[in-house]
Amino acid sequence: MNFTFSPEEERFRSEVRVFLAEKNPNRGEKIGSDIESSLARLPQLLAWNQALYDKHWVGFNWPQRYGGGGGGLIEQMILKEECAKDHAPILGLSYMGLAWVGPGLIKYGTEEQKQRFIPPILKAEEHWCTGYSEPGAGSDLASLQCKAERDGDHYVINGQKIWTSLASWAQWMILLVRTDLSAPKHLGMSCLLVPMDAEGMEVRPIKVMSGETPFAEIFFNDVRVPIENRLGEEGQGWDVTKTALANERSSIAEVTALQHNLEDLKDLARRCRIGGRAAIEDSSVRSRLAKLDCTIEAMRLSGLRFLTKQLRGEPIGAETSVNKLLRAQVEVEMGRLGCDIEGSAGRLLKGPHGMDVGAKWQKHMLGWPTTVIGGGTPNIQKNVIAERILGLPHDV
Amino acid sequence: MDFGFTEEQAQLQSQVRRFVDSECPLARVRELMASSVPVDKGLWEKAAGLGWQALTLPEEHGGLGLAWEDLVVIAEEAGRGLLPLPLVADAAAARLLARLGNPQQCARWLPAIATGDSIATIAMLEDADVYEDRGVSLQASASANGSASLKLNGAKRFVPYAQAADLLLVIAREPEGVSVFAVPADSPGVTIIPLVLVDATQREADVVFNEVSVCDDQRLGRAGAAWAEVARVLDAHAVALSAELVGAADAAVMIATEYAKVRKQFGHTIGRFQGVKHRLAELHVGVESARSLVYYAGWAVDHLEDARMHVSMAKSFASMAADEAGEDCIQIHGAIGYTWECDAQLYYKRGRASRNILGSPEWHSERVLSSQGL
Repeated sequence: MNFTFSPEEERFRSEVRVFLAEKNPNRGEKIGSDIESSLARLPQLLAWNQALYDKHWVGFNWPQRYGGGGGGLIEQMILKEECAKDHAPILGLSYMGLAWVGPGLIKYGTEEQKQRFIPPILKAEEHWCTGYSEPGAGSDLASLQCKAERDGDHYVINGQKIWTSLASWAQWMILLVRTDLSAPKHLGMSCLLVPMDAEGMEVRPIKVMSGETPFAEIFFNDVRVPIENRLGEEGQGWDVTKTALANERSSIAEVTALQHNLEDLKDLARRCRIGGRAAIEDSSVRSRLAKLDCTIEAMRLSGLRFLTKQLRGEPIGAETSVNKLLRAQVEVEMGRLGCDIEGSAGRLLKGPHGMDVGAKWQKHMLGWPTTVIGGGTPNIQKNVIAERILGLPHDV
Repeated sequence: MDFGFTEEQAQLQSQVRRFVDSECPLARVRELMASSVPVDKGLWEKAAGLGWQALTLPEEHGGLGLAWEDLVVIAEEAGRGLLPLPLVADAAAARLLARLGNPQQCARWLPAIATGDSIATIAMLEDADVYEDRGVSLQASASANGSASLKLNGAKRFVPYAQAADLLLVIAREPEGVSVFAVPADSPGVTIIPLVLVDATQREADVVFNEVSVCDDQRLGRAGAAWAEVARVLDAHAVALSAELVGAADAAVMIATEYAKVRKQFGHTIGRFQGVKHRLAELHVGVESARSLVYYAGWAVDHLEDARMHVSMAKSFASMAADEAGEDCIQIHGAIGYTWECDAQLYYKRGRASRNILGSPEWHSERVLSSQGL
């Protein structure tokens, strides 16, 4: 075991720090790195994206010939860690494009598709949303019914998608549809790249329990897209989608964000009082804080073990579900604990009575499903662990 | 940056695994549980033949000079097989001797520990039942007759493998503070009372000291100045114990998983039911998280000035993982898990018994915060 970095890696870290000192628009402010807080400050963020792009740090490990960084895993970890420590905005503004579209394009895209779509993602000139879940296909995504039928050199799409984030902001959607009704369900799907201004698409926002509208339903009514907008072969849609899942952003930056939140909870516990004394002296609060501390540190260290496997060229697969499950527990517990520490003020949605700035913990308490349910519910993560790691059979 | 086993560590891991499988499978563990001999001599000598007792001892005293993270590798596999040997307690005692002892004291004791000819253990816990400075009240005081020697009076509780030990490192209180004395177990006035434990794969004994004479050259380090080093060695001991617990927890999850793949009810193997498979997945998450914390803590005790927080994170999570895995191993087996023949009971007892050794998960959880100044 060795937790030191090579001189080249340390030099890279210094380079990142110098860059952040000059270019991080959030410097000295505690601004969330979530999408909503980011979009509220667009001009600064476009400048941030441009500065990152000039360094080839957007799409850090993507091929250089399309404008990516061609960088290594350790440098990528250092970059993400330093940015998260410095409360920098997300590493590239075309968030969904970077997370979900690019990896599939790189592996399955035609040369024309790569040339056409990758650079605008890196430059944040085009934004993407995803069309995966349907009302009848959530955890069982492969049973989706939204279909695309061939009509000459076009596909004609009919059906519905749901839980699409950033639909009103995106110019493009990566859409998983059924193209072969007779094939086994995993083999009858294809992936299409659909412009959001296509005729026959309707976007309806969904209001969630926090009162915000982070998601939308999308209705497709005879929407026509040319066949060259198909990503991968017909019937290969499931594989293309799995590529994006396998390339999910490294957990390092997430852990740093969780550490920031934990520090905020500790500060809150020093300020608030429970039963006439500082909340930080309350034994129940202490044991809950300690459990969060241990869990987040375990996630950080497990992340380093997975990274080491990747560096050694060993395959990593289902083991990352361990951290996903823990993250879900931590996200839910943080909102609960923050509001519990605030006591009566914990049930205020607005107001001055001892609550944290901007109703931080109330927002957390009402907002965790975005991260916890999206991308695979905890129950699905447990299935993944049980079946792919422990070798247990599929469900009854 | 590399957070994985080195090639040597991977080889050591498979060596221990082979040893456990061939020399001491669970059938043999069960025989040794019933034995009146606290440590099987043949098994101990075979382990010494592989260099395990010498592993972390200094090279100038017959050791291999390897790191505590290497002992963690052995401990995890020993825990997986419930190997009934005092490898961890012996290594912790040797670490304390090596760190506090002068060259003569080290030369006198460490070579025999390295070869396995002597077994050493730390006698720390007392009636106060706490692994802290304030828990030490056994007295080392000047003799009434004015001779140069000191007298030890008091009792130590739950001393690991004291009934097998040749050397006791006694944590005692002097007017100046806490000191450590190297006391041969057969010294006059030392009475060792073996305890009957829930977990019969381990051995512990009470040790009573009645006017036990010790000379100045048996004191390790300066009078009253030992506590900081004792605390650091207890931390290293707790990490190795946590590694044993991770191994035991992993084994319990594996046993339950294999059973869930073959046991049929309602026309299906029970591993197809989410009530069973999800619990196994949760246990696996507990084991993997504890393992990450334990490996890091094993590195930290050799490399960080203050490793307390990392040790406590490791011990609290490893304790919980083993305790839960042992219980659920029985639950997933159903009634058969409750029988003497089923190995689930062995892991349940290990998890229950070891959770509180060297500090309960609650004590360690509290220390996670207090070591950060909270």
